[in-house]
Amino acid sequence: MNEAKLDFLKELANIGTGHATTALSQMLSGKLFQLVVPEARLLPFTEAAQYVGGLEQVVVGIFIVVSGDVGGHMAFMLPYDSAMHLVRLLTGDDSGEVNELALSALQELGNIMITSYLNALSKMTNLLMAPSIPGVAVDMAGAVWESVLAGAEVISEVTVIRTEFFADGEAIEGNIIFLPDQEDFDKIARILGLEEM
Amino acid sequence: MVELFVNMGQICSLKTEGILTTVGLGSCVGVALYDSAAKVGVMGHIFLPKSRANDPDALPGKYADTGIPAMIEEAVRLGAQKSRLQAKLAGGANLFPNLNVNSVSIGEQNVVAVMEHLAKYQIPISGKDVKGSHGRKMRFFVENGVVTVTAIGKEPIEI
Repeated sequence: MNEAKLDFLKELANIGTGHATTALSQMLSGKLFQLVVPEARLLPFTEAAQYVGGLEQVVVGIFIVVSGDVGGHMAFMLPYDSAMHLVRLLTGDDSGEVNELALSALQELGNIMITSYLNALSKMTNLLMAPSIPGVAVDMAGAVWESVLAGAEVISEVTVIRTEFFADGEAIEGNIIFLPDQEDFDKIARILGLEEM
Repeated sequence: MVELFVNMGQICSLKTEGILTTVGLGSCVGVALYDSAAKVGVMGHIFLPKSRANDPDALPGKYADTGIPAMIEEAVRLGAQKSRLQAKLAGGANLFPNLNVNSVSIGEQNVVAVMEHLAKYQIPISGKDVKGSHGRKMRFFVENGVVTVTAIGKEPIEI
């Protein structure tokens, strides 16, 4: 992979995760919140699903359409247990059920995570990026993953930023999937002075 | 018994016995082609409806227009007769229905494209469980042509 592109993704991961931590800490006030340095990867699309987890593992996927100066999609995928732990912290509901309240908390959580990265990218490039209302799916990882890729019409490579954090002492794993339209990725590259993105 | 897992864009085949499995069908469509006399089974995992010029190295099974003829060719190579082939389909869901209320989802486009291409080669569809908004696991038993479909938290159904 191009060095400059990897550096850019790492920087985006760091800044975006920083924004997300601040926003989530405010939401989960009083709970211990510690962030592990994120990892950014560019993956061939057939391998990406394995990276995110077993195909049959149940995950929560939050998917957003991005419009403005940069078009594309962003997604946030996390294992079911991590998602339910966050729901417990956010709502106090410890039933472990995916009810209306849990879905709305997950939608809000995904919104915060994704817009944190979008805002970071917006600041780095001075380009406007507006997120849509989030879609939420609780389903097999493989099904969520391929729906995200097909929805964004990604046919080759995909950027996955894995974040790990601890909320109330429990490890939470989450994956931010960054899917800009190719032409707009080129636009970002030009603005940031990166070659051959 | 052998069980082969068919990933996005792949086409896998078995003769006489064994299981062809696709885990985690969302908007993709799983296609099972079967010749019951020759006991030849071919499974594809179609990702998008139409092949594109900017993806020349793609596996044929990634797209419906190239995948269906490639699957037929594979079945014939293993001894199937084209006139005896039957198809079963699963998948083509829309997992995020609130994001594209005003357009036809990729899942539905995939189902339409797969059905069109099967019709073009005069292959009848003998079973299907498609669309909706949930993911599916599809298992194809080559010994007898049985196809089961499972959603999370549900018992398998036979199509």
